[in-house]
Amino acid sequence: MLKKFIHLLFLPCSEATLLMEKQNAGAISKTENRRLMLHLKICKWCRAYQQKLKILDDILKRKCSHKKETEINPSDIQEFKNKIAGKLDL
Amino acid sequence: MEKNNVLKSWVEQYSEPLLKRAAYVLSDKDTAKDIVQDVFLAAFSSYESFEGKSKPLTWLMAILNRKVSDFYRKKYQSEPHITLDHFFDETGSWNNNEVLNDWDSSGKETHLLDDDDFNTTLEDCIEDLPSRWKIPLKMYYLQEKKAQEVSQELEISTTNLWKILQRSRLQLRECLDNNWFKKS
Repeated sequence: MLKKFIHLLFLPCSEATLLMEKQNAGAISKTENRRLMLHLKICKWCRAYQQKLKILDDILKRKCSHKKETEINPSDIQEFKNKIAGKLDL
Repeated sequence: MEKNNVLKSWVEQYSEPLLKRAAYVLSDKDTAKDIVQDVFLAAFSSYESFEGKSKPLTWLMAILNRKVSDFYRKKYQSEPHITLDHFFDETGSWNNNEVLNDWDSSGKETHLLDDDDFNTTLEDCIEDLPSRWKIPLKMYYLQEKKAQEVSQELEISTTNLWKILQRSRLQLRECLDNNWFKKS
């Protein structure tokens, strides 16, 4: 019960997790940051989530960065090249 | 004739990287082919505006980005409806204690990506997201988290981009928890 009370009074977890996204992207305002920090002090669930958010962010940064591609089989690529060359009349 | 020869060599050289990138962002090979075809058609018709200041592939990738954004905008015109009911109760508190689960990952994230099984699990979790969220998520990370740019391109508000990232990440956490951390 106390947990619910505290969360409602300051900032619900559903919003704290949204602010974490803004914080993570460096787009959080000072006021929002203060509210989030206060919330994190009293909420172990969101503290735990924030740690995982950082891990996920780190993994995604490495996983989805510049070189990211999906494999396509060579014959499909060749077929595509022929089709485009035909369309553009090259 | 020079234009035709240049385009021909571009199609030859760059079809592969463009198709692979498009297939990744769109999670669909057929759509990727349609979109890359549009990229080459656009490159052909605006060839004169290519000044050789950037590498051809960079220029083509920028066109690809625009075409992906067009596709996304056309497909998802209405405001996204994002509900968090699955994760939070009516007061906005966590629905359960799952978020506290130990990931025992201090400093191990680097090694996680070396693990083929983990990579597969992660990719499956990402692909399970609806494309409406998946495309912005991928673009956000491909473009080094430039939120402003991604939201402008996709014509969604930054607030909605935060919501999409929040919702996607909540789901990814749950998915990885269930399919990886609880099992290992």
